[in-house]
Parts: sequence; C-alpha cells; structure tokens
Amino acid sequence: MAATPWEGELEQELKAHFGESIIQPATYLGQNFAVVKPEAVPSIIAWLHDAAKFDYLVDITAVDWPKRPERFDLVYILYSFSRNERLRLKTAIADGYRPQSIVATHVTANWLEREVFDMFGIEFAGHPDLRRILMPEDWQGHPLRKDYSILEQDKHWVQDHLGIESGQ
Amino acid sequence: MPDATFLDSTELVLNMGPQHPSTHGVLRVILKLDGEKVLGTDCVIGYLHRGVEKIAENRTYVQFNPYVDRMDYVAAVSNGLGYCLAIEKLLNVEAPPRAQVVRVILAELNRIASHLVWLGTHALDIGALTPVFYCFREREAVLNIFEKYCGARLTTHAFRIGGLQYELYDGFEREVKAFCDMFPAKVDEYEELLTRNRIWVGRLVNVGVLNAQDCKRYGVTGPVLRAAGVEWDLRKAQPYSGYEKYDFRIPAGRNGDTYDRYTVRMEEVRQSLCIIRQAVETIPEGPIMAKVPKVIKPPVGEAYVSIEAPKGELGYYVVSDGSTQPYRVRVRPPSFVNLQALDRMVRGGLVADVVAVIGTLDIVLGEVDR
Amino acid sequence: MRNPARVGRALGLSNLLRLIFLVDLFQGLWVTFRNQHPRNICTEQYPAERPKVAERYRGLPRLNRNPETGEPLCIGCNLCALACPENLIVMTSERNEQTKRKEMVTFTFDTSRCMFCGLCEEVCPSDALELTQNFEMATYTREGQVLTRKMCEEGIEAKRYKC
Repeated sequence: MAATPWEGELEQELKAHFGESIIQPATYLGQNFAVVKPEAVPSIIAWLHDAAKFDYLVDITAVDWPKRPERFDLVYILYSFSRNERLRLKTAIADGYRPQSIVATHVTANWLEREVFDMFGIEFAGHPDLRRILMPEDWQGHPLRKDYSILEQDKHWVQDHLGIESGQ
Repeated sequence: MPDATFLDSTELVLNMGPQHPSTHGVLRVILKLDGEKVLGTDCVIGYLHRGVEKIAENRTYVQFNPYVDRMDYVAAVSNGLGYCLAIEKLLNVEAPPRAQVVRVILAELNRIASHLVWLGTHALDIGALTPVFYCFREREAVLNIFEKYCGARLTTHAFRIGGLQYELYDGFEREVKAFCDMFPAKVDEYEELLTRNRIWVGRLVNVGVLNAQDCKRYGVTGPVLRAAGVEWDLRKAQPYSGYEKYDFRIPAGRNGDTYDRYTVRMEEVRQSLCIIRQAVETIPEGPIMAKVPKVIKPPVGEAYVSIEAPKGELGYYVVSDGSTQPYRVRVRPPSFVNLQALDRMVRGGLVADVVAVIGTLDIVLGEVDR
Repeated sequence: MRNPARVGRALGLSNLLRLIFLVDLFQGLWVTFRNQHPRNICTEQYPAERPKVAERYRGLPRLNRNPETGEPLCIGCNLCALACPENLIVMTSERNEQTKRKEMVTFTFDTSRCMFCGLCEEVCPSDALELTQNFEMATYTREGQVLTRKMCEEGIEAKRYKC
C-alpha cells in the first residue's frame, strides 16, 4: 500500500501516550489509520474515547490474510462527532489469539464482535454474550475465512435440520 | 397449591417469530414478558444471510455492483452510490459534475421512496390501514422515474464505477419537476391523517425513547440519532457527490421518542424535495463517465467510505490486493447497528410498543443480514 | 414536544373542542372520503390491461438481427458470458470459412438465475443482445427457464388468457 506517514496532532498525542504500541501511523487517500499492537487495543480505544472524544464506534471487522503468520487483521473504525474526524485502528493477530472485547467502552461492539466471531472465528475475551449471530448456532466453520470455499456448507447441519443431503 | 408448576411464574417467554407481519422481514424477537410489560428481548437474525461479503471476494468490481442493490432492497440506489463512491475512492477518480448532480437527484428520490415505505408500513403496524395505500401510490411515481432512467424499479443498478451508464432520458427534468410539484400536497395529506391524530400521538409519544447519549453509545445513526437532538448528517458533516452545493436543513427532534422520529423523517422528505428542486435546475452539461479503465484494478490499499443512506450511516470498507477482484468488502449496515438498540428502547415498555419501535427503527432485514 | 392531542386541558377552548368533538379523527376520515372519487383510482386491471413499461426496461433477453439483411448481429465474442456475474450465458462459436469471421453457433441463457442487471447488454459490442420489455417469464418447469438460441431470437410471447 502506498501509504504516507501521518503527521498530526492526534498522532503526536497517541505516540506520546502509547509509545511503541503504535507501530505505523499512516495515511492513505486522506484516511488516517494506525497499526497497533493487539494487547494495547482496549487501552488505546478507551483513551481515544475519554480524552480524544472518539465517542462513536463505526465498525469492527477483520480481514483474513492466510499466508501471514498473524493471519487476521482486526480493524476498528472510530469517529468523533466533535472533531468530525474518522480514524482506523488495525491490529494483526494470529489464529487462536483472543483479543480483549471493547464492550465496556462502546456498547456498539456487542453485535459487531459477535459478527466477527461468527464470520472469522476470532473469540473476544470478556464479551458478555459471544455466540453466532448470522449463521445458525450450531453451524461448524467460519464462512469469511479464505479457506472456506464459497460453495461449502456444513453437511451435518443440513442433514440434521433440513433432512436432505447437502448438494455439496 | 400442591406443588409449584410453571403456571406460578409470572414471566412468559414469547416468540415473535421470523414470520410476522410487523417485523419488517424475517426477524425473530424473543420477548421475556411479565404480563404485557417487556422485561427483556433477544433478537435472532440471520434468516436472510446470503453471504454478500463472501460473494464480493469472488466477483470482479463491476460484476459485484448489481449484488449491492439487494442488501437494502427498499432503497437500492443508495447502496449502489456508496459502493461506487468507495471504489472511486480507491481508484482516486471522481465522477464528472453532471454525473454527480444526477446521482444526488436519484439518491434523494430514493430517500423519499424509502421513507414512504417506512411511513406506510409503520402506520400499518400501529393500526392505521390507510396511509400505506397512499404512500405506495406516490412511490409509484418515483419508481416510474427509476424505471424510465435505468430499466428497473427496485434493483436499480443505476450507477457505475466512475459515473453513470445511462444518459438522462427525454423528459427526465420535466417528470422530476412534476413530481416535486405534486408531492408536497401529498405529504400534507399524510400529515393530516396522522400528525394530530390522538391515536397516533397516544401510540407514539414517549415510546421507545433513546436519548442522545445512548444513541452515541449504541452507535445509532440516521433519523434515530437526529430525533434525539443531535444535528448530524453525513451529507453536511462529510459531504460527498456535490452535496455541499445544496442548501438544506437537518431536521432534529428533541426527546428521541418515536413521535420525534416520525416528524424528523417527514421533514427529511420535505428537505429532500428541496434538494431535488435545486439539483434539477442546475444539471450541467458534460460527460457522464470519468476516465476509468475497462478492467478495474485498483492499486493495493484500502478505503472506508460512508454515505448517509435513508436508514443511517452506510459504510463500505474495501480492501484491494491489486487484482480484478476485491480482497474484502465489508458493508457497515445501518440497520444492523440500529437494531442493537432495540433492547434498550423497549425494556420496561409494553408489548405493543415493541412493534412500534421495530417500525420506527426502519430496519430492512436484507441489510441487517446481508 | 407537547402532546398535541392533550393540550385541551392546559390551553384554550379551541383545543378542548377539538378534543371533545373528535375533530382530528374526522379530519382523517375526510381525507379518506376525498380519495374515494373515481379519478383517484390507481389500480391497474392486469391482465386485462398490460402496463406500459419503459423503453429501457430490463426484461427477457433477445438476440437481434440486422433489420435489412436478416443476419444475426452476434459476432460470437463471448463478452456477454464473461461479463455475467452469475456465469449463466454459455455460447459456442466457430469460424465461418467463407466470410472469415466468427459466428455464434449455440447460445444458452439461464433466466432462472438471472438478476437482470443488464451487464451483458451493456458489454455487447454489436447490440445483438438486448433485454426487452417482456416481463412475463413464468414457466411451469425449471428447465423451461433456460432459453435456447431459437427462443432468444424469436422472443417469448406470453400466453394471453381471456379474462
């Protein structure tokens, strides 16, 4: 990605508070983002919420890069009403790592994290109610992972619930 | 009483199943009730999950465009606008001015159409059986304009990456202006039916209150946020597609109850008419498509672009790995995030209010489940 | 926001009268009554009168022929099959030795999976494939939904029932 380094007031404050947890603050196409260390995410988000007034959690999502050892890119998009500024936080986590849930800071994260768990299999530690949201409760497999083919179905689920042989 | 039976408990778990006329789609709400008072809810969604985000990884950018309309199927044009803006951002191109103005006109017509469906179905759930017919009658006028422009009424596929595919048809300006002249009287008619009606007021005032602080905590956007008093609209805060050129007001409510959401959406419809009138006077001449390569291969990178859809903030987070197919498309659906606040809004209320609140949140399950 | 229907108690005679005499309910009833006039009927009596759809309507596909010579316009370039998001167009072509040009031989269009997006029509370089205004595409079998070359060229005529 042809990202350019992000220099700004917010970036200075983040660097001052969190030091080496912020790995790469950058800007691409005018959108600021920062790659951070996974353990620091809850404290960074809490600081952004209280001190920097980023009070609206827009989205939590993940991207699967299967060839990397840190397979998933967990992305948090935050917005501040008072500053009219949007910020992206990205963190690289490995398969099996359980990031801390941020439901305590932003209540929006409840369903958004459930969806990330459902689609990617990333379990969030400390989430009050982590279960599947879009897929049925007893579905095996996490559909948005790159090794889950687009035509794949959970054969046992189809057999048990629909009583037919899965076409796959 | 010899021994305790389940009849002794006062708590009832009621399933407002996926097939229900008032849930606006296949939404299942499990209600925990004490008589008529709601103690808690649990929403079960996913009945309309079609894996749109997975499909996106297996289609080219141009091929994915028609799929996007099918998420918020009531207001398909906005979905297309958001997607095209996101890919244009990745490609670093901007649609030409003529395309931008036509996009604004169609997006605002689409907002009116979406709010008409909302009004009709919400009134129908509350028990007012008349407005739905009038709303759908007016919606026909809007859908006729869409059909004449792009060939389809509901799944419009109106925009392309880089601009527009179709040139305006003869009579487009005339029909849009005729619609703008005809419509305010109809909005007055709906208001005459509903706004001061004691049944409407009694069912809506102080029902499903969500104040501004809760809205921000729950990440709720769109008319629900504006009804709570926060005057925030992405068309003013972070304008796209030339919205900064138009002069319009952002309606805001005061209490954040269902009646305020009703007045905010009615006023939004009037403001949309205002925008359309300004836009249709000033359609510039020029090309309708920017210089976009035949095979779209954005450079490696990612972008998040969001627009003010009729339901709230609709965002597209697109990650490109340099090939012809997107690596990841994430759609941030406004209805999904707004639906989370349902529990907060109905707790402590009555069962009939659950129906009113689901209607007022204006959810479309195609968008919630994707 | 003050509850408009309950202000009778606090302010004014007119609001009290509105409350007692059910003025707001009668106002609504008057709107409904006004709309009973025959000029407000907007029901279309289908199938007796068919709706006039727009010129650009994306309905069933048709393979066009050159109006003067009657030759099929399709040049067998396969662009429509490549553009389709659902990969439901299958066509074969072969090179005609006399005219030294490619010609389409078989053409299959599966309307059961088609979403009528119009991408095939847009990409066709010779305006051969066109989505017509025909929206009556119901069949009794799933196999009947697959259109062959002959069906695409002649067009599908929906059976008109007597009402």
